[in-house]
Amino acid sequence: MTRPGANTRPTGPAGTPAPDDSGKPETPETPEATAQGTPVPGPAPAGPAGAVPPGTAPPAAGRTAGARARPGRKRGRGDWYAYLFVAPSLFGVLAFLLLPMVVVFVLSFFHWELLSEPTFAGVDNYRRLAGDAEAWRSVWVTVLYVLLCIPLQTVLALALALLLDRRVRGVRIYRALFVVPWMATPIVLGLVWTWIFDPRDGALNRALALVGVHGPEWLSDPSWALPAVALVSVWQNTGYNMLFFLAGLQGVPKELHDAAATDGATASQRFWRITLPLLNPTMFFVMVTNLIGAFQVFDTVFVMTEGGPSGSTAVINFTIFQTAFRAFDFGYASTLSMLLFALIFAVTLAQVRFFGKRTTYDLG
Amino acid sequence: MKHFPRIRWAGALLGAALLALTGCGDGDGGGGGGQDGKVALTYRLWDEQQKAGYEKVIANFEKANPGIDVSIELLPWDQYWTKLTADAVAGTAPDVFWMAPSQFPEYVTKGVLADVAPAKIDASKYHQTVVQTFTYEGKLYGVPKDWGIVGLFYNKDLFKKAGVEMPDKLTWKPDGSGTFLETARKLTVDAKGKHPGESGFDPASVKTYGFASWNHYQTQWMNWVASNGGKLLDKPFGKYAFNDDASVQALQFGVDLVNKHHVSPPATQTNPPSDKINDMFKAGQVAMFPANNALLPFVAPELSFELGIAPMPEGPAGRAVNLNGLAEAVYAKSDHPAEAMKLAAYLGSAEAQKVMADGGYVFPALDGLAQGYVDYWKTKKVDVEPFLEQSRGTTFALPVTTGFTAFETKLVQIFNEMYLGKITPKQAADQAVTTGNATVK
Repeated sequence: MTRPGANTRPTGPAGTPAPDDSGKPETPETPEATAQGTPVPGPAPAGPAGAVPPGTAPPAAGRTAGARARPGRKRGRGDWYAYLFVAPSLFGVLAFLLLPMVVVFVLSFFHWELLSEPTFAGVDNYRRLAGDAEAWRSVWVTVLYVLLCIPLQTVLALALALLLDRRVRGVRIYRALFVVPWMATPIVLGLVWTWIFDPRDGALNRALALVGVHGPEWLSDPSWALPAVALVSVWQNTGYNMLFFLAGLQGVPKELHDAAATDGATASQRFWRITLPLLNPTMFFVMVTNLIGAFQVFDTVFVMTEGGPSGSTAVINFTIFQTAFRAFDFGYASTLSMLLFALIFAVTLAQVRFFGKRTTYDLG
Repeated sequence: MKHFPRIRWAGALLGAALLALTGCGDGDGGGGGGQDGKVALTYRLWDEQQKAGYEKVIANFEKANPGIDVSIELLPWDQYWTKLTADAVAGTAPDVFWMAPSQFPEYVTKGVLADVAPAKIDASKYHQTVVQTFTYEGKLYGVPKDWGIVGLFYNKDLFKKAGVEMPDKLTWKPDGSGTFLETARKLTVDAKGKHPGESGFDPASVKTYGFASWNHYQTQWMNWVASNGGKLLDKPFGKYAFNDDASVQALQFGVDLVNKHHVSPPATQTNPPSDKINDMFKAGQVAMFPANNALLPFVAPELSFELGIAPMPEGPAGRAVNLNGLAEAVYAKSDHPAEAMKLAAYLGSAEAQKVMADGGYVFPALDGLAQGYVDYWKTKKVDVEPFLEQSRGTTFALPVTTGFTAFETKLVQIFNEMYLGKITPKQAADQAVTTGNATVK
């Protein structure tokens, strides 16, 4: 095992239907091909295509993986145009991701109330952060939100994928249906769910009343508001994550299952000992992207609760928004952003280490 | 190998699209000289209904000033302030733009707004609450544009159905006496046809509510506070003061309407950010609903019942209603200060404000033109005279002080708890005043 980073390339984007295909999910590789024992199962990132960072894969990457992986292709001549093709994305990454990060880092050392001149603050903002109970509370709320979302939406997605990973009539329709929520924008979702959560006229409490349950006042009860917002995320993301798990399941060689079954392994043993370990690359991708997404949640909170009631849904991104665009305190908002960055960085690093030790790509 | 060429095309297309997208970003921003030596000005606003009126106004202005070319920019409310702030930082704010009371202190204290003395308007001819709102250290920082005032919207059909006449004068007192609560009780009906106060009345099964009391500062509790003799601010650009006894009593009344008298829907349904109360009124589930007249163009066309307007209830200290003025602000760093000032002056003129009044868009800030607005709404079968009548009495502006934008979200959260009955009005007011004063600079 060399550098974890190099080995833990997620199967994600390269092996799954790209987002624009999601309406009609296809299995990327035919089952027969895997059954023949192809050394590297189709969906695994075999070549340069795997180097595309997760989430930025061009729509057609799935189909190129095989073509580009041809052995013996000479580097050098003609490679310049590769950079030409990468240039627009590279420009985007530099101008809209890396540059703003540097700017935010620098700004976190300044006092800047937008309309007045920025003045150097040294570590003032960081000192203020250390004693800012509201900021730390929003970190805690964010962590709670992550803990509510991630386990649930991951387990549900995997369960769905296992259910839909078979040849039954209309399976493609089901697969597509589960991805529909992912295509809606969070603002619209937030609005629709606000109606559903309405304590008196909302669909949810009406449905609960039918079975004799008096539903809570979802969005105005401090103990229910955060779970309610998290539920929307789970509802939105489960189907999309299921797609990755479906693709990952295609990469689990059938003969391993056959052999294990012959040796008397039960279905649950096969799941825990074969399927799950071989899904590690997919799991890694799903966990990393979902955790980052959950730590950065904003839209649904903004629409559904504005951080209330009593700050029970004031996640850190909402606090950053308040500080920057309501209080116009850009210096301190930058400091809060650095805190969020550090949190995400630490969590992601931990995952890289965790999965790095447990992930095998080469079944040969 | 077969697929390769397709990929190249996809990449090239993607690249082209990206370049085109990023290229577009340089298009706008930065006013400057227009074509044929004309001076190009930008005029920014947030109301899409009023934009139609201002297109006429601007056409007239351009006819009279052939050397000036004005383009109108429309941005929705939320984006409006984010973009305006960003533009002010970048030094590229529009030459003339709308200014609201709650945002005014932030912009004027940071030097974004120009003193409009060069526009040479006669401030005494405009509604004085508006003039005072946009006055800072003795100078006027915006040409008064219009005012909107809170009035009592009511559903005439529900009154008829309940056999209730709207009294000539609604009155309220903290102890619950007065014609207002009495009327609201008669209009509140539960599933069995019972009213609040009758035996067997079930607050959980109310079908129509007499009144909408909810956590909205501009149309609700600030009006209770002012008409009970409470104080919002100690002085303009000063500190918050609405935790005095009179204010707390008034807040208690607003909360009692919901939790004690049951004439208003529970806060679980009406608390912001939900704006469900608007829908409840439109759907005929609420009989009386205080709202700003600026809401008329948005609400009136959608109603399936006859809309009435009444003056707000009078409190122990008389009637005091929120009057919200807007101003045409001139950017202090405009490239064309003379022309921008000229435009602002024109927007404040009788000619321009008459167009906006006669089109039924707004009550103009300039005195003597309101009849056009009243006449317009008469053709729509809405009698808006009560708004006008109230504007001649005691009116108050929103608390104008720095930091309000930062305070607003917290204020709403604290008062949400109060309307839910989880904290007392005294606790809520103390918390809010302390939090608010920490944001005042």
